[in-house]
Amino acid sequence: MHKAKVYALQVVLAGSLAQNKARSVLSVLAIALGVALGYAVQLITGAAVNELALGVQFLSGDADLQVRGPRSGFDEAIYPKLARLREVAAASPVVELDAKLADRSDTLKIIGIDVFRAAAVQPGLVADSADRLDHLRSDTLFVSPAAARSLGVDVGGSLSFQVALRAVTLRVAGLATADAHQRFAVTDIAGAQENFDRLGRITRVDLRLKAGVDVDAFRDRLQAELPAGLAVQRPEAGVKASESLSRSYRVNLNILALVALFTGGLLVFSTQALAVVRRRAQFALLRVLGVTRRQLVMWLMAEGALVGIAGSTLGLAGGFFLAQAAVRIIGADFGAGYFRDLAPTLTPAPLPLALFFFLGVVIAMLGSLAPALEAARAPPAPALKAGDDERAFARLRPSWPGLVTIAAGAIASFAPPIAGLPLFGYGAIALLLIGTLMLMPRLAVLMLSIVPTPRGAPSRLALLQLRGAPGQAAVSLAAIVASVSLMVSMAIMVASFRISLDAWLERVLPADVYVRASAAGDTAYMTVDDQARIAALPGVRRAEFLREQQLLLDPSRPRVVLLARTIDAANLTRQLQLVSAQMTPAPGAPPPVWVNEAMVDLYGFVLGSVVEIPIAGKPTAFTVAGVWRDYARPQGAIAIERERYIALTGDRSATNAALWLAPGAAVEQVSRAIDSDIPGGSRLEIAAPGEIREFSLKAFDRTFAVTYALELAAVVIGLFGLSSSFGALVLARRREFGMLRHIGMTRRQIGAMLATEGATVTGIGLVAGFGLGWLISLVLVQVVNRQSFHWGMELSVPWAPLTGSALLVLALSTITALASGRHAMSARAVLAVKEDW
Amino acid sequence: MRRRRFLASPILLLATAALAADDYPPVVAGHAMRFPGDAGAHPAFRSEWWYITGWVHDADSKSFGVQVTFFRNRPRVAETNPSAFAPRQLLFAHAAIADPRYGKLRHDQRAARAGFGLAGAREETTDVWIDDWSLELVDDSYVAKIAARDFQFDLRFSSTQAVLPQGQQGFSRKGELPANASYYYSQPQLAVSGSVAVDGKGADVSGTAWLDHEWSSEAMAAEASGWDWTGINLNDGGALMAFRMRSHSGSALWAGGTFRGPGAASRSFEPREIRFTPHRRWRSPRTGVEYPVAMLVNLGSEEYTLEPLMNDQELDSRATTGTVYWEGAVQAFRGDREVGRGYLELTGYGKPLKL
Amino acid sequence: MATKNLPFANMDSALHPAGRLSLSRATVTLAVMLVVHGLTKSYAGPRPRAVFAGVDMELAPGDYVAVMGESGSGKSTLLNLIAGLDSADEGSIKLDGTELTALDDDALTALRRKRMGFVFQAFHVLPYLTVAQNVALPLSLLGVAGSEADARVAGMLAGVGLSERGASMPRELSGGELQRVAIARALVHGPQLVLADEPTGNLDAETASQVLSLLREQIKANGAAGILVTHSRVAALTCDRILQLTLAGLRELTLQ
Repeated sequence: MHKAKVYALQVVLAGSLAQNKARSVLSVLAIALGVALGYAVQLITGAAVNELALGVQFLSGDADLQVRGPRSGFDEAIYPKLARLREVAAASPVVELDAKLADRSDTLKIIGIDVFRAAAVQPGLVADSADRLDHLRSDTLFVSPAAARSLGVDVGGSLSFQVALRAVTLRVAGLATADAHQRFAVTDIAGAQENFDRLGRITRVDLRLKAGVDVDAFRDRLQAELPAGLAVQRPEAGVKASESLSRSYRVNLNILALVALFTGGLLVFSTQALAVVRRRAQFALLRVLGVTRRQLVMWLMAEGALVGIAGSTLGLAGGFFLAQAAVRIIGADFGAGYFRDLAPTLTPAPLPLALFFFLGVVIAMLGSLAPALEAARAPPAPALKAGDDERAFARLRPSWPGLVTIAAGAIASFAPPIAGLPLFGYGAIALLLIGTLMLMPRLAVLMLSIVPTPRGAPSRLALLQLRGAPGQAAVSLAAIVASVSLMVSMAIMVASFRISLDAWLERVLPADVYVRASAAGDTAYMTVDDQARIAALPGVRRAEFLREQQLLLDPSRPRVVLLARTIDAANLTRQLQLVSAQMTPAPGAPPPVWVNEAMVDLYGFVLGSVVEIPIAGKPTAFTVAGVWRDYARPQGAIAIERERYIALTGDRSATNAALWLAPGAAVEQVSRAIDSDIPGGSRLEIAAPGEIREFSLKAFDRTFAVTYALELAAVVIGLFGLSSSFGALVLARRREFGMLRHIGMTRRQIGAMLATEGATVTGIGLVAGFGLGWLISLVLVQVVNRQSFHWGMELSVPWAPLTGSALLVLALSTITALASGRHAMSARAVLAVKEDW
Repeated sequence: MRRRRFLASPILLLATAALAADDYPPVVAGHAMRFPGDAGAHPAFRSEWWYITGWVHDADSKSFGVQVTFFRNRPRVAETNPSAFAPRQLLFAHAAIADPRYGKLRHDQRAARAGFGLAGAREETTDVWIDDWSLELVDDSYVAKIAARDFQFDLRFSSTQAVLPQGQQGFSRKGELPANASYYYSQPQLAVSGSVAVDGKGADVSGTAWLDHEWSSEAMAAEASGWDWTGINLNDGGALMAFRMRSHSGSALWAGGTFRGPGAASRSFEPREIRFTPHRRWRSPRTGVEYPVAMLVNLGSEEYTLEPLMNDQELDSRATTGTVYWEGAVQAFRGDREVGRGYLELTGYGKPLKL
Repeated sequence: MATKNLPFANMDSALHPAGRLSLSRATVTLAVMLVVHGLTKSYAGPRPRAVFAGVDMELAPGDYVAVMGESGSGKSTLLNLIAGLDSADEGSIKLDGTELTALDDDALTALRRKRMGFVFQAFHVLPYLTVAQNVALPLSLLGVAGSEADARVAGMLAGVGLSERGASMPRELSGGELQRVAIARALVHGPQLVLADEPTGNLDAETASQVLSLLREQIKANGAAGILVTHSRVAALTCDRILQLTLAGLRELTLQ
């Protein structure tokens, strides 16, 4: 008897899986999509971060501690003091910089070392060479194999770098030992200082301590004695700082991928839920035959697991290829510029592989869980009577769980970040979504009762049926609401961001022409002479110069940007987009600085507070006189008056210039003059504000390409879910359609009825989805974005594209409903009246 | 050991003489040595060293050899670079203990570029240091402080005799060409006092040592592949020094020597008057190189037999300089009688020193 | 050869044979509503199967006939053909003079909508509409709404004894009650012809007999004709005539 039972089970279930080939395939694809996206993101970012860590580990060798400071370096006189400390076994001074290649847009990390000292601390950096003296010469480089490859240079060749506006050529004397992916070059420290205008400065001292010294205790003692602006830390802390810059971005991508996976799971849920409902009579029969509840549940979960396994396998393979393609096309940072020096290989480590595999299976099984439990719980007898389906959804009625969940989500959105990540924000979004889904039956009933009952028979019939079976509508609604809300929220966030970015760009680019010494790297700048020549060019009415520096305020965080620029305190709003009030320091109070929003979030530089900023090794007090919006520097930026900066440092060089043109002068004219009249002028990058805006927005779009892709995926999955549920519904009701044909409804009328049903359900889904999406976008903008990147933005809803998409979705779903119903209107359907099930 | 790879030994730097040494000042005859100035560094010259070797014994009368050497090299790179890191002068140091108890040499090395007060060599007098290794002439005594990995020296070498200029008033020829020469003086019969600590165990020592201070621009001829050198403190208070430059085939290209009897004037020997004859060879189990560790040395009509304190006094610095050489404490005999103690240095027996 | 059983024939015995004949013919011309002649149907496919051939039938208003036959004899097929849901290979079906085989699907549907009512074995009451809304279904298709529709629905519900159940949902009703709803639905729009296909197949004996008598009562009360397809003698006996469907056609049966 047992064997017969199992056989019966298998026949029934396998039969229905095969019967629903199309829908099963769709579910598998949906899971596969979610897993592929998540795994691809994980592969890429994991590889990049891993490379970063390995690279830092390699470059810091056996160092126990590192002393770091501003990016442009600090006084080398610190080095002998550190070397003489009794706890220090070896001290290795380093000049490290990102050198811009002359006449190329690349940069190369240059590490200037003293081979004798480095041999004791970072022996890996000392390479072989034919002539040992090459390690001491000022004009030689040892490039890493990856750098040699990417720059197309060989031993014996040469590389030219841009320093200020000059070109400096160095000879490649050999290859540095490095693992296969790090791009850098090693040179003598004296050569680095001379060639790159760093005389008197070093950027780092690596310390190896004597055996038995307590590293942390020594570090704390030493930190207290270091001059302002310098920090001593373990090398691993440097990794943390570098990777924290991109961490929010990476976490965002991971969350987006999880969202795709979730929508896939939702699809499985809606498909399974309706399939289970449709097969209730079969299940009841099985229960009558003697199959236990547990067996039934396990078999149904096994169905879900099968879908999950197939989807996960497909997804992992797809994700791997997707990752390869993405790295090749848009880079390991998805174009955001965080990991420019890395070319990571994607090795599928077993742990993430297993994780995503199980994630896919678990989500598919979760999607089947509720329907499976429901199928098992239903008492066998009533299930045999037609029309009992509504009981399946009776449990969705009470509304308090949904309201509580939504309330919890609202409260969670006010919570602060954890470890710099907006985890509560993500949690709030999840809670809002789940709560709304729980409330959908109620909302559906409410909205259905508001919709006026139409006159025409088919649409009237459609509406009456929907009103009578709100639970069934709620299940198909789940997929629509989820995907629409996610699409809407992301669309609103991206649109808000883009519009805010555009407005910001317009505000911070008031001049006619912008000039910069180079796009990247530390070595290019404009000397005083260069600046004078630029200011004196014909056609230039006014020139303002800016010097950008990077200061180390907190060793566990990336450096903060210092912008020494011309500041017109009386007309500040013309230069900066202030988000706070503007205050003038009282007479006798420390001089003013203006900080961006990230400085407030990360360092507590609130308006009016007095802060200490280490400039030129001296801690100097300033008053925070204003907070401005900044989309370029989430690590923090401080604007200081250029004259004050020059007074403190004596540094008159400039990295950027803003030019106002005389009436009648054109950008091209000035650009040509720069090329011809200024030595090295061809190395300057010149752009009009329009070009910069266009370029920035393109970069923005590239960065959000992944988001756009996921939005599309969400909608597509939602539509799949809809078609799936419609199909199931239609199949379940073919007896009714047969009856209606008997009673005298034409095929067209039945089609109209189905179309109305589809359009109504979708319409309700759209309304709920839009509302929820708007709420979620609020959380995304005010909480997630703010806590991740420390910038604010104005919320703006892109009504036109959203309305267009809504109409498109409505149209598509109506067509989907019609297509699903095509079968119902065939002649064969008529005969269905005779079937018992 | 990769870590030590770049601690070049002076032999390599001598050997890597540039093809054209015109910018290094030439070593010429007739330069009168002036002290204390000439005890200090001569930074314009390519190579220079202060080389102390000696026999000491501790309270238990256990005898062993000690060696402290500081090298200075002007590599002629980055000389126009204004950076304080510019490697205008490189400094190296070796320290070694030759104690039969250990069976082979215990040694350590340092290397640094001069600068920031962390390493340097003063011109005013002998004062050369690398981090916590230093050799300084204080009044009449050289004070050497060495903190090596497993041993420490805190030694004072006090002068008991006048300076011994080598060659012609310090102009010491090393080959056919007049350019192949060095300025060279020695301080024999230095009285050693102080302490030596090995593996944490310290002991007061006393003994007799020999200092060589030599500087040159192009001392080695192109055909030379190495040299043998010995400096002996004679038991009667005299001192003798002999060396020969060897060719690739092993024959002597040039030789020289000095003998000073107790209280007498020094006498220089012509190249043909100096002969080194290997008496006994020893092959290193590690490198396979064979050294004539026991030598017969003829200075004019006098013959001395040099016997090493132990066979294995090989210094393997292949990991850093590509050379292995033998630097050992030896006893000098005439017949069966020990007449003095000092050091014997044998270079170029492995691979010839490359130019 | 089917003989025509004339309606009210037992009341006509007093008339002159010749006059009776002419009267019959006159009556036939005026009163016969459904004329089926020479209907032939077979199923195509790998093994073509003939269902029946040369079926003739005449139905006058008020006629209530039972069609019996073995399973597979094509009883439901005959109903489907008469309802215009299927097409015959040969023959003609005329309803009130309109040739059904000449109409297209839309016309057939319109005709069906207005002039026919159906009762099925499996009830086929829409589960998500109330009882009243179910009964009103044909009316709403015909565009009858508002108070007139409500009145007729109420009337039909009263007729089948379900006046208080108008607002109930179908799942609250028993099988017998559901069939009564179906009966109400089948007649609410005043059709000329009611087609019932094994209406008591899913009911127990007692409920079945109640439903059958109710069906007959409502058909007669509303002046419709009815065709009851059944394999049950008991059910067939509730009709005026019993016809047997075989491969050769329809033949009148007498059961006792």
